[in-house]
Amino acid sequence: MAVASLTVDGIAKAFGETRAVGELSLDASPGEVIGLLGPNGAGKTTAIRVLTTIYPPDTGCFAVDGIPYTRPSAIRQRIGVLPESAGYPLNQSGEEFVQYFARLFGQSRKSARETARTLLTEVGLAERAASPISTYSRGMRQRLGVARALVNRPRVLFLDEPTLGLDPAGQRQILALISEVATERGATVILSTHFLDEVEEVCSRVIILNRGAVIAEGPVTDIKRRAAPRTARVRIPEEMHESALAALRRAPGIAGTHAINGARGLMSATLEGDASGKAGNAAVRALLEVGIPILSFEVEGGKLSDAFLALTGEAGE
Amino acid sequence: MTTLTPEDVRREPASQLAAGVGGGLLVIAGQELRDIWLSARGPAIVIGTSLLLSLLTYLAASNEELNIIDQRDTVNLVSQIAMALAVGVSLLFTADCLSGERERETLESMLVTPVPRRQIALGKYMAAVSMWPVLLLVAVPYIWVLREGEGVFADAMLGALVVGTLLVIGFASLGLLVSIFSGSNRLSLAVAFFIFVLLLAPTQLPLGGWFGDAITQINPMTAGSTFLHRVIVKEHGWGEDLDLLIAPAVWAIVVTAAAFIATGRLRLQGSFGR
Repeated sequence: MAVASLTVDGIAKAFGETRAVGELSLDASPGEVIGLLGPNGAGKTTAIRVLTTIYPPDTGCFAVDGIPYTRPSAIRQRIGVLPESAGYPLNQSGEEFVQYFARLFGQSRKSARETARTLLTEVGLAERAASPISTYSRGMRQRLGVARALVNRPRVLFLDEPTLGLDPAGQRQILALISEVATERGATVILSTHFLDEVEEVCSRVIILNRGAVIAEGPVTDIKRRAAPRTARVRIPEEMHESALAALRRAPGIAGTHAINGARGLMSATLEGDASGKAGNAAVRALLEVGIPILSFEVEGGKLSDAFLALTGEAGE
Repeated sequence: MTTLTPEDVRREPASQLAAGVGGGLLVIAGQELRDIWLSARGPAIVIGTSLLLSLLTYLAASNEELNIIDQRDTVNLVSQIAMALAVGVSLLFTADCLSGERERETLESMLVTPVPRRQIALGKYMAAVSMWPVLLLVAVPYIWVLREGEGVFADAMLGALVVGTLLVIGFASLGLLVSIFSGSNRLSLAVAFFIFVLLLAPTQLPLGGWFGDAITQINPMTAGSTFLHRVIVKEHGWGEDLDLLIAPAVWAIVVTAAAFIATGRLRLQGSFGR
């Protein structure tokens, strides 16, 4: 069994009366990408700042690669961080910048130069390595930030909103890089983001925070199943409304059904189970067996975004 | 879930902290020195100082009608201008060094490196005070040209070196202290510059009576300035006015000690002015 590269046990952080993070716990294994989700002000950045030793936790404890949080300097040797709003010295070149940080991690001048060249090649900035950072686009700066965060071959990589403000191509590049870091380097990646599609794409697990509290945690599929049941939106001839409702209620895997906005011929059926489609098939079969023609059949929900909205909406009420 | 108990938690060994001593400090100081001296900032200040001292020296040395002060006074003036510029520039550099990083959002990336926070601050401090020896060197040829009488050059150079070093150390530490706690760069620069002007202004005022004497003795700028004036212009021996070095020395020691202690409290956000 792989040793956890990050162990968090009930950390909490408050600023005055405001709880920023409360009782966050998790175990992360090498190569795992964990999504940290939540609306603005949910506590994602504070959680990352606690785990990266910027803020000490008020309660709870954590360890990176077995190193307890009371040894921040040793922890910093093992983590890489791309902060939410990372600034860059615009007059330096990308290579100088990465080299400088490699030196801060104790590398010799020669080794730092090699590290910088290797990493800039990996993030696709080799050709612009000698250009001043002031000439870099936002996407290039983010990739540079990822390169900088990798100078010490971190066991855990914290990325706070790495794709914010990037165009789709830039987002794709960063996501590919994240997957590569996890699979090829075996690093644990903690990815804080607003973009739920990204999480579905690269994360194996998610933690959803709202107002400092963990409101859901688990594999992406579990969260989707738990919090966002899929529904089928069915249109049938108006005169067959009652018989269609009755047929759907009898079908296996249908948790409930009702007319949408009281309209005849338009109804919604809640599908039980995961995204395998069995309940949807059963609904279609049930209608056809009693001779009801289906004018349209759309399956909705079951996305992480639906789960996210359901969870954060509930928590907010 | 692997639960960590308090027994698992060990204090960070001193050896771990000591491992980075020197390394990170020198890397940061080196980078900051490059930023100052290989960018426009450092050379521009040196050129500006040279131009100012050249003008002053030219007027003093070549035009007797325009020259209303004698050459000993001019030597004193050149020394004091070089010193005041170095103090002001070092102060502004250190006042900017951490609050500026906060504002440019580059501090967080530094704080997550294994370099201890004290070394981050001290590395920047070391680079900022590098302005002083350079400006003193710039002043050397001017003082040499203007020297008149035996021992003036040595007295002026040594006096400026001692007084300037104490003042630069103290004021640069003040800038660092303000920068550590300031959340805003503008506020940090304003506070540091205000204190500088407040202490510099009495050097330009005719101070007399017991109050004037007290200000002269207590204010490190007036004390240092008066010391230089007496040694260079009045030709006093060094031993005669050593009491005037107490204020600059105390200022340097106290403010530097306070700044050194505060460097351990460097945080991502400043304590005021956010």
